[in-house]
Amino acid sequence: MNLRRIFLFPARVWMALFFAAPLAIVCGYSFLTRGEYGGVEQPWTFENFTRLADPLYLAILWRSVRIAALATGLCVALGFPLALFIARAGKRRNLYLQLVLLPFWTSFLVRTYAWLFILRDTGLVNTVLQSLHIIDAPLQLLYNEGAVLAGLVYNFLPFFVLPMYATLERLDPALLEAAADLGARPLATLRRVIIPVSMPGIVAGAVLVFIPCLGAYLTPDLLGGGKTVMLGNLVQNQFTTARDWPFGSAASLVLMLASALLLAGLMRSRVRKELM
Amino acid sequence: MKRHALGIYAACILAFLHAPLAILILFSFNAGRFTIWEGFSTRWYTAALNDPQLTEGLLNSLIIAGVAAVLSTLIGTLAAYGMWRRNAPWLSGMLYLSLVTPEVVTGVSLLALCQWAFRFLHLRLGMHTVIVAHVAFSIAYVTIVVAARLRNYDRSLEEAAMDLGAGEWRAFTRVTLPSIAPAVAAAGLLALVVSFDDYVITSLVAGVDSETLPMVIYAMARRGVSPVVNAVSSLIVVAFGALILLSERLQER
Amino acid sequence: MKRRELLAALAAAPLAACTRDNRPRLNVYNWSAYIDPAMLARFGRERGVRIRYGTYESNEEMLAKVMTGNSGWDVVFPTHSRLVPMARAGLLAPLRGTRLPSLGNLDARFRAPVWDPDLRLGVPYMWNATGIVYNRAELHRRGTPEPRDWADLWNPALSGRLTMLDDPEDVIGACLQKLGYPFGSTDAGQLAAAKAEAVRQKPLLRAYINAEVRDQLVAGDVLAAQLWSTTASQAIHAEPKLSFAYPAGGFPLYCDCAAILRESARVELAHEFLEFLLLPDVAAANARVGETATANAAARTGVADPVLYPDDATYQRGTWPTALASVDQRYRDRLWTEIKSA
Repeated sequence: MNLRRIFLFPARVWMALFFAAPLAIVCGYSFLTRGEYGGVEQPWTFENFTRLADPLYLAILWRSVRIAALATGLCVALGFPLALFIARAGKRRNLYLQLVLLPFWTSFLVRTYAWLFILRDTGLVNTVLQSLHIIDAPLQLLYNEGAVLAGLVYNFLPFFVLPMYATLERLDPALLEAAADLGARPLATLRRVIIPVSMPGIVAGAVLVFIPCLGAYLTPDLLGGGKTVMLGNLVQNQFTTARDWPFGSAASLVLMLASALLLAGLMRSRVRKELM
Repeated sequence: MKRHALGIYAACILAFLHAPLAILILFSFNAGRFTIWEGFSTRWYTAALNDPQLTEGLLNSLIIAGVAAVLSTLIGTLAAYGMWRRNAPWLSGMLYLSLVTPEVVTGVSLLALCQWAFRFLHLRLGMHTVIVAHVAFSIAYVTIVVAARLRNYDRSLEEAAMDLGAGEWRAFTRVTLPSIAPAVAAAGLLALVVSFDDYVITSLVAGVDSETLPMVIYAMARRGVSPVVNAVSSLIVVAFGALILLSERLQER
Repeated sequence: MKRRELLAALAAAPLAACTRDNRPRLNVYNWSAYIDPAMLARFGRERGVRIRYGTYESNEEMLAKVMTGNSGWDVVFPTHSRLVPMARAGLLAPLRGTRLPSLGNLDARFRAPVWDPDLRLGVPYMWNATGIVYNRAELHRRGTPEPRDWADLWNPALSGRLTMLDDPEDVIGACLQKLGYPFGSTDAGQLAAAKAEAVRQKPLLRAYINAEVRDQLVAGDVLAAQLWSTTASQAIHAEPKLSFAYPAGGFPLYCDCAAILRESARVELAHEFLEFLLLPDVAAANARVGETATANAAARTGVADPVLYPDDATYQRGTWPTALASVDQRYRDRLWTEIKSA
């Protein structure tokens, strides 16, 4: 029993010093006033929070949740079969896993700019479609919600595939054989056996995707053309152009609270213990 | 039949993941500065290799990502194992919270901590602050991946080892660790990728002599898609691709 | 075992390289692509010092670091409107004019600028304006008149091919000037009217986008854009069919200035560096490499680029924005969020 306590010690110290302590400072900031040149000043106030109850900011919260949920759904739809395929690829599974990760060695920005290449008016898709005479004028593929979704799915797919793979890889082949022996068709096996058994992995992966999507700001900026505001943009903007650290701190605390409530809902359900 | 369908589906998704990269590599050989094809050239590769900022950024990134991934995999794996049976509500709460925190908040809060701590300690922003930050946000990723695996791990194996007289430590290192090793490796890779790629937090806590590759690339990309960036990215992709193939070959033997 | 030793040696090598270099150091934090690397090397060689150079993308990024009071940087390049707030916050070391004999090389416009008449806070380095860049040839072909003022960016003929900067100061400022109000207005009624203009323009917009638009202007995706004169000039060099207009009803001007931080322990050396930047050949090289407009008159020879260096009549229409008070800044940020959410 002692050993486990020792094992927990480094994580506890690190998280307390470099996560909880800084966060406590941010909590403190959220009750202070914006300084003239961007820092924080007395007096203490609740104003930063009351300001957030505005319908303007509630609409932003709702939009962020909707887009993040859509992106997560797409990641599950795309990632689950991929993880299943890799888990069953035998000796090649490591190679495929690396192939999934390979794009992510390039910078996030480069990947996003690569999407600009593809989606813009003079980009790959429009050029090909035009040269095949399928369309006359270029389609406006960039700077809309579809482009933001594509960017989010592209960037966060590995966050789903990796934990999914870790779960599926452990799946007992005997279980599948038993199902087949009992006459289950492959799709029935998938629905009745594989998916229920791998639920912890699906939930863990979905959580890992949903959360960063909720706070994303670079993708909506670059692929959405800065025309929509998500929570991440709101927070980012307070710490940069608006130089309003107290309001930014309050907004980010609310963002964290929203995500934490969603997580708590999940934890209350059956998967609570299976997550961590 | 079904296996084929799955294979085709997987191939499509892999193509989706790699198409932007293929285009990137293609355009890195473009003679022109912009995204209109003007003929084949390797001038951007020459420019990239002669750019001291880029090479320094790459070196800094490799050091930071390497150290941060090793530390966070170690800490995170131990934590996941520790939490496997023993409830650690505070720690797991903190780890979850660290996932929920928007990057910019993590970065700003760490900067605020530095601002406060540097008044008492004679320290400056630099590579060490970046590594500390990267470990802090990577631990949760490692823990989640390893914990998901431990959930499916048959505990009776370890209990059997202990029944046979192995101590807790021996049971862990000889029985449990080897069988969760693939998940630990996957977690370590995830940590490496997350750290190598991070821009937002890094740019906030970096100081003198700690400019990472994403920071250099961001600066270049902001000024329009510089083909030098494409060249560097292509080089990284090809180098890592070769490394992966090599390690596959070695494992097959 | 051997492999482990090799790894240790590899890891130690860069560290050893760092510690062996005992030359004095000067840490310079500047906007990206704003200096000729050869000039940095020359300064290091001539003075026997080692320059450690870092870059940032926005004033806020630099300010966030510098406000720690222990950022490690000696020289930074804030935009003119940030100088006074930084000085009030006690972040800047006052400049000593006697240490900067080449201040006389500055353009007459920058020898006693409105934001810092005695040049105590920062030495003007590079400057630019916000205006309109457009695809002259394509607009002619479509029979759309060339934009001359901000109001022309509300032309429905540009729908889907028009961008504005992703910057509240510039966008709200342009809307204010379109309505004939001052760029830095703090009047609630004027600002509300400006917001309404921005919301009316939004359906025509392709995106709110900064320097990245250059590429799309050159490729022809974008026909007209609100953009900084330096970025526009770079685009025009790549594609001569593009033109730049300084809006008839007024436009903002920005100047980035070299300043020394109070935390610096090398104020003497920092002054030497600022003096070095003022030398005509150094300033000329920096402006050439960065493709920017220098504030150094002695560095400018030959025919001036009219995009980078507007004539006096045009220049008179420009205004130098000042820092807004906290409450005004908050109100503008709210308007900006409303515009973006509309």
